[in-house]
Amino acid sequence: MIRDIGIVGGGVAGWMAALALVRALPGIRVSLIETEGPDWSLGPFGPAEASLPDFPAWLGDHGVDEGALLRAARGSFSLGTAVSGWAAREADWFLPFGTIGAPLAGIAFHQLAARIRETGRALRLADFSLAAVAAAAGRFARPSPDPRSILSSYGYGLHLDRAGLAAALRAASGLEPAGEFNRAIVDGAVTAVELRDGSRVVADLWLDCSGPAALLASRLDQGWEDWSAWLPCDRVVETWIQMEGVPPPHAHAGAFETGWQRTVPLAGGQGGALFHAAALLPDQPGAIPLAQGRRAAAWTGNVVALGAAAVLVEPLHGWNLALLANALARLIGLLPAAPGGPEPAEYSRLAAAEADSVRDFAILHYKTNGRTGEAYWDAARAMPVPEALRRKLDLHASRGRVPLEDGELLGADDWIAALDGQGVRPRRYDALADAMAEPRLLDHAERVRTLILDAVRAMPHHGATLRAEGLIA
Amino acid sequence: MLAGRILVVGGGTAGWMTAAALAHKLAGTPARIVLVESAEIGTVGVGEATIPHIRHFNATLGIDEADFLAATRGTYKLGIEFVDWGRKGDSYIHPFAEFGAPIGGVPFHQQWCAARGEAGPFEAYSLPIQAARRGRFRRPDGDPYNYAYQFDAGLYAKFLRGYSEARGVVRREGKVIDVARDGESGFVRSVTLEGGEVLEADLFVDCSGFRGLLIEQALHAGYEEWTHWLPCDRAIALPCANVGPIAPLTRATAQDAGWTWRIPLQHRTGNGHVYASGFTSDEEALRTLLGAIAAPPMADPNRLRFVAGKRRRQWVGNVVAIGLSSGFLEPLESTSIHLIQLAIGRLLDLFPTRDWDPLDAAEFNRLMALEYERVRDFLILHYHCTERDDSEFWRHCRTMRLPDSLAYKLALFRERGVVVQYREGTFLEPSWLAVYLGQPVTPRRCDPRAGGAGAAAAMAAMRAGIAATAEAMPAHEAALGMPA
Repeated sequence: MIRDIGIVGGGVAGWMAALALVRALPGIRVSLIETEGPDWSLGPFGPAEASLPDFPAWLGDHGVDEGALLRAARGSFSLGTAVSGWAAREADWFLPFGTIGAPLAGIAFHQLAARIRETGRALRLADFSLAAVAAAAGRFARPSPDPRSILSSYGYGLHLDRAGLAAALRAASGLEPAGEFNRAIVDGAVTAVELRDGSRVVADLWLDCSGPAALLASRLDQGWEDWSAWLPCDRVVETWIQMEGVPPPHAHAGAFETGWQRTVPLAGGQGGALFHAAALLPDQPGAIPLAQGRRAAAWTGNVVALGAAAVLVEPLHGWNLALLANALARLIGLLPAAPGGPEPAEYSRLAAAEADSVRDFAILHYKTNGRTGEAYWDAARAMPVPEALRRKLDLHASRGRVPLEDGELLGADDWIAALDGQGVRPRRYDALADAMAEPRLLDHAERVRTLILDAVRAMPHHGATLRAEGLIA
Repeated sequence: MLAGRILVVGGGTAGWMTAAALAHKLAGTPARIVLVESAEIGTVGVGEATIPHIRHFNATLGIDEADFLAATRGTYKLGIEFVDWGRKGDSYIHPFAEFGAPIGGVPFHQQWCAARGEAGPFEAYSLPIQAARRGRFRRPDGDPYNYAYQFDAGLYAKFLRGYSEARGVVRREGKVIDVARDGESGFVRSVTLEGGEVLEADLFVDCSGFRGLLIEQALHAGYEEWTHWLPCDRAIALPCANVGPIAPLTRATAQDAGWTWRIPLQHRTGNGHVYASGFTSDEEALRTLLGAIAAPPMADPNRLRFVAGKRRRQWVGNVVAIGLSSGFLEPLESTSIHLIQLAIGRLLDLFPTRDWDPLDAAEFNRLMALEYERVRDFLILHYHCTERDDSEFWRHCRTMRLPDSLAYKLALFRERGVVVQYREGTFLEPSWLAVYLGQPVTPRRCDPRAGGAGAAAAMAAMRAGIAATAEAMPAHEAALGMPA
């Protein structure tokens, strides 16, 4: 029976874990021990966090007021990620937080789109996504709960200052830190953590939220799966640019000759990170080494690795908060009933499947890049990819289908949007799309497009929404 | 261009479901669908119990429920009652719904397990079970439960034949006596009927039943046997008159060397005995069945033989096997029609084009194999998790070595009440819970969050609410518009 849970790491991951545990397990004593240094608990990915559209609901479920958090963390809204320079040096695409198009007679929109393209018409999937069109137009309003409205066809994520987010999560948890980490006492398991003042904290279960250092998990290690063969960036530089004006309602992942730049717009500036390979772009000031991969077993003995201690993968899209939220839900659902039970193995199995699915989505961006003539990108295009991704690419190439495995974080729509955006075109479209008369098909596409344009025209500008919520002056 | 000339070989439930679905989905394409069947070859279609997915199939085809029930003499089905499985005298129902609702963020079954018998029977937390126990039925109106049908599969095939022919499907009567294959690709080019007519096509759907006329006899797809896990290999079907109220339930009663089914339709009750010939004789099996039916038989016994398992490849070249030609899993969980429906759906998703990308077949085979294996594991669970020690058959089932995939699932539930989740699959968490806790497999430990203030009161309120709602439902016959 677990009575005490200790958390090591007082960043976003540690305080998010504390909040989740305090709310779900009122009978358990939770102690949080802070570590020194910058908050890299979700990875050294810049001073701003971007979330996927499930995060606002998580906050609501955990008693965090979204408006107050946004104000405390220079927050702004996100409708997706603009991905530029990957499909080709001058090309960009958009991964929207929402649906793209609408099916017709049970045939998926991207299959209809493929047939429209076959008639010689150019078509961009993003033009049929309300989230993408609104993002491009700099508009934002929260979606409608009415499923009949086109304004329900999208969700939104949040862009938040990392320190502000951690502080808000801490405040919501109602906990005070137990002290500063000095060292872990390990004897087969973590028996205690010694604090700076020499006192010791004991717990039945430890959550390692200390980031890539993995102060506890690395002591009980079953190994780290190295992903550098697929994800070539091994250095990152955290960036911050002070800026006035209205932030765009989306994040940005911009590729350049030897890496890519992440941008997460906040009110008053842009947090970000520059990802690159040291061999091709040496001597960047402030460069932090980055060993992308995941822990072979996220839960070993009495230590559960969370956040970047469990999986370190470049945040092409805002999946780090989602990975952490899912990990916490999984942990709470699999809290050990007694020692020696099957919970750690099942937890680790599920965590690995989810982490690997995100890894594959990241690799996709490299494998299908269109930057020919640049050594870094030519090598990425030529690399062999993991088996599950290989099957997705093959089936997509064959007829535009993407088979999902159990436990994947991203949905089929995300995969389709990314593949299409990268310029990957299936050899064939769905044979049933032939059943559709061409005028009916074009009419359908036109109707969707008109609905979206009308809805976006009626939406307020992102700046107006931010001002109305007191987020910018 | 899609492979537009389609020949369905074999009528029966699989053949006509395939023809009807293709005719509907391919309307407007140049596709031409021909179905060949022979009146001389009987179909297996006995009374058929289904799971709720059939409603989606009918709805997609635009089939009205009342028309369908009238044509097939169908009844509503809220679940399957399993009698004498874990122990003689036990009964539990597998409904098409979740049990209870989470309390304090803790899954309901964990709360129930933590209460260790203080919270009444698990089935008190299922509205469809409570309705079924009372012989009542109401179509869900926003309620969190689903339902299926029990109907005459022969009449359903006839109904779909009318549907298909009205949409341009051409029916040919005759027996296939020869199959011609392309020397180079090995693809089937044509079949020849008795009398000499030659039918060519691009795509052949093999709905010829157990023998697999095209998929096995012509293309030698191979068969993966699962008899070491599912030893039943014969069945006898025997209809009788209805006695008493028509239950909105299929019943599966464990016997000494297998189990008997009872499927109530509007006009009769379908009965049958699925048994293992290694553990009982055909005569004994018939005696068991006669002892289990509620009224004198209305027809001669219809005897069937089968081998549990599946074709190694269900799509080979330009031949796709659907129905019994693709494999056989005993109808313990009413999955026969569902597996047909699933194969049709996958075929439509991966509908071949004239260039025959081999990935279509590979993906179809991967998905169908996964589904067959998951249903297989679910069936094995019923046999394996028993305390019965009263016959050689049950001693075998209790002690047999499980597939690894099932052993893992079972261990996790036994230890901690955790149901292994997957993305796609016929039976999801509530189904596994119904069978685990019904057999019963009792978790040694449960979620440490379970219990606490208010849990008992919340459960009592759920029980009372469900009982009252079930009590207020109309009788099943009334819901069917039949005299009570």
